[in-house]
Amino acid sequence: MNRLEDELKLALRRVDPPEGFAERVLARVASKETPKASPAHWWLHAFGSVQLRWAAVCAMCVSLAVSGALYQRAADRRRGEAAKEQLMLALRITGSKLQIAEQSLKELDSSGRPER
Amino acid sequence: MTIAASVLATTQLNFEDLVRENQRMVFSIAYRFLRNAAAAEEVAQDVFLDLFKKLGSLESRAHASFWLRRVACHRSIDYARRNKTAAAEISWDLLEEPSGQALENDPFLSRRLQQLVAGLPEKMRMVVILRYQEDAQLEEIADVMEIPLNTVKSTLHRAHAMLRARVETLGVRP
Amino acid sequence: MRRLGAVVGLLLAAQMTATAQDLDPGGTIKKLAARASKTIDVNLDQSMLRFASAFLDPKDPDQAQAKKIIANMKGIYVHSLEFDKSGEYTEGDLSALRDALKQPEWSRIVNVRSKRDGENVEIYFKKDGEKFEGLILLATEPTEFTFVDIAGPITPEDVMRLGGHFGIPKVNIDQDSPTGKGQDK
Repeated sequence: MNRLEDELKLALRRVDPPEGFAERVLARVASKETPKASPAHWWLHAFGSVQLRWAAVCAMCVSLAVSGALYQRAADRRRGEAAKEQLMLALRITGSKLQIAEQSLKELDSSGRPER
Repeated sequence: MTIAASVLATTQLNFEDLVRENQRMVFSIAYRFLRNAAAAEEVAQDVFLDLFKKLGSLESRAHASFWLRRVACHRSIDYARRNKTAAAEISWDLLEEPSGQALENDPFLSRRLQQLVAGLPEKMRMVVILRYQEDAQLEEIADVMEIPLNTVKSTLHRAHAMLRARVETLGVRP
Repeated sequence: MRRLGAVVGLLLAAQMTATAQDLDPGGTIKKLAARASKTIDVNLDQSMLRFASAFLDPKDPDQAQAKKIIANMKGIYVHSLEFDKSGEYTEGDLSALRDALKQPEWSRIVNVRSKRDGENVEIYFKKDGEKFEGLILLATEPTEFTFVDIAGPITPEDVMRLGGHFGIPKVNIDQDSPTGKGQDK
């Protein structure tokens, strides 16, 4: 290999990613999987009037419903992803066996005589 | 290993292991291409997020590495096209002219070469990175970049000519 | 895949409907699974296929391909059994299965043995007249048995698409060689 190529290999050595890169990737993946937590009850007591309290209760109910829906969506998503993985697994197994059949047919072609 | 066992092993590929094993490769491809650490980290993170979604359909660690290399290349190129100002693209014509001094033992030769490579056109730059950083054979470069083998050969040939011409003026005989 | 397609293509047919079911005549698969050291079971009826399809990424070539293939399927059932040693299952164990496949609606289209692996692969199509209703694939080797049951209209083109995709290496590449170089320097 000539000198330019040697120098290019030296110049283009791999570099380390910044500190904590892997952890940031894992954290980002984990945050996409976790639904957001619902708000706590404590702020209810901060409101003096009955109307405000009722409004707060309604808001909390809505929030819980939304959180529940989000949680359900996340659970559905997990089930869907699992079903998808099962499907891809099934297609991979089937495809690999078909490849063996194809390979065998090619072997038959090249040998010019039937195997059986 | 039987087909069923290798398939089962694939579905148990550990994402964290794959990140740790391949982070250097993925980040380096993006960094050498974009010449910007923040942009490279953004691209590299996106590549691994793609890996997470794709995990179940990868066959082995080797397949995962090959897949990561391919996605890192394509994402880096896409990023550069979308963010012309963010990537530290150095115009070939604006590169500092050499002083004419003999630079056989130039300690900054590596840095100059890095700058020269960063100034290459995008496709050429990626071919050079795959060839010299990743030590990839031409056929693999063609597979990774999804371009014809003859294109890889001609692109690499032109890259050598451009880099050699510039490096010779630096006083280094290749 | 062209050769396989040519063989299967002799019986090319149009769309049709079928009831999907996980075939296990005589409880063959259950009995073998009890003896196997490792099993892979995938059971996706039509509703599960539709559910899974919604999560397939159309931008991913493999998943886009999968979406097309399963679009009209009624079910996919895959059972792959691995045994510790040769002889733990025999042709006799498969007799109920083979008898079921001798019914007139089933035609064996492919029956080949791989020199390299000693694996025997048979492909059966279920027909009603000229219409296809499903596919069964049997792959047998000394320590492994795989049974694939695909219910619904599956064309020869679909069969061709299944090979050479989903991460399966192409036939002319050595399966054991690394696909990538670039070791850490």
